[in-house]
Amino acid sequence: MSNSVISVISRFLEEYTTKTSNKLKVVDAYLFYILLTGALQFLYCLLVGTFPFNSFLAGFILCVGAFILGVCLRIQINPDNKGDFLSISQERAFADFLLAHTVLHLVVINFIG
Amino acid sequence: MWKLTLAGVFCLVLLTVALGAQALTPSHHLSLSDVDRLKGLLSQPFTDLASAYYSIVGLSKLGASVADENDACQFLKAQLDPMSVDSLFFAAEASQAIADCEMPVFNETRDILLAAVSEDSTVTQIFRAVSALSSLGLPLASQEVVAALVARIAKEDNVLAITTALQTATRLSQQAELGGILEEIEDLAARLDDLGGVYLQFEEGLEATALFVTAAYTLSDHADTEPPLKEDQVIQLVNSVFSKKSWDSRSEAFSVACAAAALSSNRFHVPVIVSTQGPATVSHSQPILHLLVTDILSNPLASANLLVESAQAVASKSVVLSQAPFSLRNGIFELNFMASQPASGYYQFTVAVTGDSRLVANQVELKVKVSTEVAVTNMDLSVVDKDQSIGTKTSRVDYPFKAKGSFTADSHQNFAMNFQLVDANTGVELTPHQTFVRFHNQKTGQEVVFVAEPDSKNLYKFELDTAERKSEFDSMSGTYVLHLIVGDATLENPILWNVADVVLKFLDEEAPAAIQSKTLYMPKPDIQHLFREPEKKPPTVVSNTFTALVLSPFLLLLILWFKLGANISNFSLSPSSVLFHVGHACMLGLMYVYWTHLNMFQTLKYLAIIGSLTFLAGNRMLAQKAVKRLASK
Repeated sequence: MSNSVISVISRFLEEYTTKTSNKLKVVDAYLFYILLTGALQFLYCLLVGTFPFNSFLAGFILCVGAFILGVCLRIQINPDNKGDFLSISQERAFADFLLAHTVLHLVVINFIG
Repeated sequence: MWKLTLAGVFCLVLLTVALGAQALTPSHHLSLSDVDRLKGLLSQPFTDLASAYYSIVGLSKLGASVADENDACQFLKAQLDPMSVDSLFFAAEASQAIADCEMPVFNETRDILLAAVSEDSTVTQIFRAVSALSSLGLPLASQEVVAALVARIAKEDNVLAITTALQTATRLSQQAELGGILEEIEDLAARLDDLGGVYLQFEEGLEATALFVTAAYTLSDHADTEPPLKEDQVIQLVNSVFSKKSWDSRSEAFSVACAAAALSSNRFHVPVIVSTQGPATVSHSQPILHLLVTDILSNPLASANLLVESAQAVASKSVVLSQAPFSLRNGIFELNFMASQPASGYYQFTVAVTGDSRLVANQVELKVKVSTEVAVTNMDLSVVDKDQSIGTKTSRVDYPFKAKGSFTADSHQNFAMNFQLVDANTGVELTPHQTFVRFHNQKTGQEVVFVAEPDSKNLYKFELDTAERKSEFDSMSGTYVLHLIVGDATLENPILWNVADVVLKFLDEEAPAAIQSKTLYMPKPDIQHLFREPEKKPPTVVSNTFTALVLSPFLLLLILWFKLGANISNFSLSPSSVLFHVGHACMLGLMYVYWTHLNMFQTLKYLAIIGSLTFLAGNRMLAQKAVKRLASK
């Protein structure tokens, strides 16, 4: 049982390192960073308490939102998905990413208190 | 068939009369002292003809006269100005009220007075001229006066003018055409203001209302026509005119005196006042109810008979007396009500005054109280054991003596009291409003009052459960003086009876703390306000550690990017890209400044400016990149 899990994971890692383009790996690294940050914030909240709650929420929502936007960007610039996004060029995807981030930052900074 | 319809109509009429029996009765009239006060005001010395007129004529209306009639007559003659219509009017009218007083009549007098009777003079002028002519015995043409009055009424459409016109018509010959002026009474009555259904008056005031009443009744008598005023309206007018008991001016007093005279002696409506002499109470010692029947000047009516239509007990609604006449003695109507042996309480009397068809408001409702004396009988005091409920010590006490020994009750025993309250005269059992049992501790000043309640057989029982009631006594054992208090509005002899001494023993007697009331009014301890405590924060070390921890993934990111080979070698130094990056950095900086200094509105303003610049630059930059990418493909 564990054998098959390990083999699946190793196969996945191998495919990932060879098949994915560098651009996507850059984005993946960014996503991983966001994930870590969010997890650490959550850990702090669990350990120490929710005071001040609004700040915790702001930080956590920022991480979650940034992750989602990052994922959207990754989907849109992946050349394998070009068929789904005919009208959206890579630059356009990046511009959308930036605009959405601006709005997200505005809201989060408002809420962080 | 005709007989049936006649009977039916008769029944209907009777029904409406019975329903309408709840008529209004006057709430104000002139008592004898009011009449004296009115006479006093009018008897004040007069300084000119007008005040002389008001005093002399006013007093004559009330059946009195000025102090010195000769002096008054001389005064009138001296003050008379034969050239002035007003002066002639005052002097002539006043001299008529004094016996053997004649005003000199000059040749010009008649001409002056007749000249005033025309369409060009005011109604007041016409009135004064006509009155003077009639008082001085000079002839006048009634029809011309009527014509002038009708013309003036059309021009001067106010209350006082029309009232004066009515007064003028009373001086004219009965053969003249007074119909048109008589109709003015009804029109004027429609202008009266109804206040709460009790008062009817003109907004011009008391004097106008009183003068209207006088004019309406004098003219109606003169023309032998019943005035078009309903019974309720007459009573409301009476209330308005006689509610004021001190008058501001002589003319106001004069108008009230004239109205009183008109209402007490006209041929159509005479309001009658039925009042009690003293309080309306009868008892065994005073069994006779005295009533006075007078007109509004408090003069007894000459031909009146008083009848009790019904006397109904308020509590039980049973009719005690019906159709019983009063007997007249020395001008006061008497009825021996105790002869009907009424029980004590309140009775609603409906009395009717008969004997004169002119009487108005002749059905009156009165409340009469029958009082009696109470006697306490069969007073038994006992101390009962709770578990046995056999009286260990029952003693009978007679009023007004005190029980010989004292009674002791501790927490195992109850103290009981039984007694009966009866009418001293008839022996009927009574249930007065107040039957209290009062315990008074002489030493501590405590007073505890309980209510004794009657059972279904009207036997009063009071039981004190020592253990149950200890909180009311504050558990203070000791000797309590026991009083019985009996009182009621219909009792002539309220009772306060020191019945016995009772020694009460309570369990767990608290230390004789000072009576609570002493500490009740001392300042209480201060309340310290507890401000909202700030939330518990984690120690700075922990939060600093975690801050560093949270920022550390950024380093990891940079390392990963470096390992992946991400670089900025493709960075084109075109102005748009520089501008874009600068703008973007500014936006991020704006976020930080927003967090520390700004509010949303300011931020949005700056964001709009920086954002639009960044957008334009970014657009240009990305387009260039796109072109480059497509070209390299």
